Amino acid sequence: MTTGTTGTAEETPLFATQAPFRAFFDDPRWALAIIRATVLEAAHPQVGAALADNSTFVAHPWRRLRNTFLSMRRMFDADPAVRDREAARLNRLHARMSGSDSRGRAYDAMDRATRAWVVATLFESAVTMCRLSGQPLDQATMERLYGEYRAFLAALDGDAGELPEDLNDFWRYFDRVVEDELENTEAARLILYRLFDHLPAPALLDGMPALWAAGRAVVGPLLGAITVASLPEPYRRKAGLAEMPGTPTLMQGAYLAAGLTRFLPDGWINAETIIETLSLSPDSDDPRARTVTALRARMTQASALLRLLTPLGGDAGPGPAPTASKTTGEGRRSAEEFFRTVLDQTGDGYLDWPDLAAMARELATRLDLDEPQETRLYDAFAAWWRELQAALDTDGDGRVSADEYATAVPSLAGPALIRVAEVLFDATDKDGSGTINAEEHRALFRTAFHRDLTITDGTYDRSAFVGDFLTFMAGRRRNSAYDALLADA
Amino acid sequence: MRAVPRHVACVMDGNGRWAQRRSLPRTAGHRAAEATVIDIIEAARAAGVEWLSLYAFSTENWNRPGTEVDYLMRLVRRVVRKHAPLLLARGIRCRFLGAADPRIPRELAQDFDDLATLTADNRGMTLTVAFDHGGRRDIVEAARSLIRNGTQADDVTERLFADHLPFPDTPDVDLVIRTSGEQRISNFMLWQVAYAEWVFPDVLWPDFRAPDFLTCLRTYRRRDRRFGGVPPQTNGDPS
Repeated sequence: MTTGTTGTAEETPLFATQAPFRAFFDDPRWALAIIRATVLEAAHPQVGAALADNSTFVAHPWRRLRNTFLSMRRMFDADPAVRDREAARLNRLHARMSGSDSRGRAYDAMDRATRAWVVATLFESAVTMCRLSGQPLDQATMERLYGEYRAFLAALDGDAGELPEDLNDFWRYFDRVVEDELENTEAARLILYRLFDHLPAPALLDGMPALWAAGRAVVGPLLGAITVASLPEPYRRKAGLAEMPGTPTLMQGAYLAAGLTRFLPDGWINAETIIETLSLSPDSDDPRARTVTALRARMTQASALLRLLTPLGGDAGPGPAPTASKTTGEGRRSAEEFFRTVLDQTGDGYLDWPDLAAMARELATRLDLDEPQETRLYDAFAAWWRELQAALDTDGDGRVSADEYATAVPSLAGPALIRVAEVLFDATDKDGSGTINAEEHRALFRTAFHRDLTITDGTYDRSAFVGDFLTFMAGRRRNSAYDALLADA
Repeated sequence: MRAVPRHVACVMDGNGRWAQRRSLPRTAGHRAAEATVIDIIEAARAAGVEWLSLYAFSTENWNRPGTEVDYLMRLVRRVVRKHAPLLLARGIRCRFLGAADPRIPRELAQDFDDLATLTADNRGMTLTVAFDHGGRRDIVEAARSLIRNGTQADDVTERLFADHLPFPDTPDVDLVIRTSGEQRISNFMLWQVAYAEWVFPDVLWPDFRAPDFLTCLRTYRRRDRRFGGVPPQTNGDPS
């Protein structure tokens, strides 16, 4: 799966010096291009199957975006040690992804040809992005850019042999893959039709669904139309994507407009600031959080006004008010909601190994784990999965449905879950002091201690940590720190 | 004369009779009440009243015919949405007392929430709309809340008890206006009206207007409020 990137790193023989592509990080056009690249990746049957099975981008797109962005930054870090470490981490991550698609064809995220295709889509989308916004790259720049992408692949794979050496051959390679290998995969359809429609609100806007839904209702279909119009013609034909009158103009207009932001003063658009702000939750202790909290109060009022001003529908059917939310509001949530927001990380309606693997992945990413701790964490989650499967999968289809979960909630807290809590504690407790101090707490939860934690002497000990983790996972009690960790979109 | 009352409450009575006298359906009376409500809100604000409470719908009103209740729910929803921006602009803080029954349509409950959120920061007059309100129920709720908190019997004082009522920041009602000449309490804010003065104008609520409201305020200001004490010696005092 992609942790794709553009940009460059200074120094080292692999990456060109002084390359202009670092600017892509902050280029708004890149947002459009990366969506397009993701669709092209997902249309590859191997990537598509891996995405459909493992990716959390439908349920947690903002977290995914943040992680991808940070990973890209590391891959192009000036320090080769940072790059190598990130490449090794990505390789471990991808090595854990293999399986078979709905037609029984095997996929493997370590497949070299597939990874080459992911890098190819990123390069091609970068070139297309420049072309569509009316600033085509000259041959020399294009070749240098291509060199960088090959270097990126080489950093991951050891060498870039799967991508043609020469740029001219690359276009033939690209067209051939589009013609011969791409399919109308489920993952591509998911991105085009479902993601934009159901894109959940980022942490910042969580709690004002009306405002978010109003914006999404306009932007979602637009983004979809723009992306479709920018896809290569052979693929559009193959996937049966309709030609909509006017969309090519719209698409070029969008790219052009996004390209015009280059005339804005430096620092006005900073991708990192934007992403960090979006994933800020209001009760964290970040200095910006106070502003955000004030902003949210304003926005809550704005969305209340918006709802009040929305004309009434023809017949507002007077249904009874839902009392469920009121009775479960005090710190507990329904089994169904917990299943949807926390357990089902991939958003497919079932609890399966990829869901737990996604939790392990998120925790390992946050804690920046190396081997062998990363494997210990995954093993603990795998053991928990076996325990869950044995206890909950009553119809024996290998996965746990929301219904199966709801009928058997109490058996969720077995010895394997306690083991997960303990391994997580060990991984979080970096200095091995037996307690989690403020800094270690921040690494995991991105916020300082919260008042409701059972904390003595400014630290958080093992039994309290394990207890809180278990009540969150099994007792379904709300916990703002864990909610931000596993439930935020 | 004494000062303008701080907290005025209106029991909006007589909509049905107003309609019957005109051979109109009862629902027409409710529709006509909207104009009065808006008029009174503005009159109260202009007169310097800080708290205005309106008794819109009691827990007993659920016993009315289903069609009338349905109509009322739709009407209230329309009124709330129509006047929300103006209430915000005039600095009126709105909130809804009661409004807990599951029979209240979900959309209406959402609108109540939205209006309360929208105007929560306003510092002008506070408008409390008693909707699905029952004075005894509030008292029972306060008692439950005290017991749940494990308060000792000897610690319960009037002030502590009042803190457990819904919207504990609401001051005692100074003046209750009940239109249409009916002279009953009807389970309205029982705790808060303990020392209230009552006036009973003969006008039906849809005919009640700002001048009538000001007449009621004048009546109040001439009254001699004693709170159970003896009248002060007022030799030569014009009041």
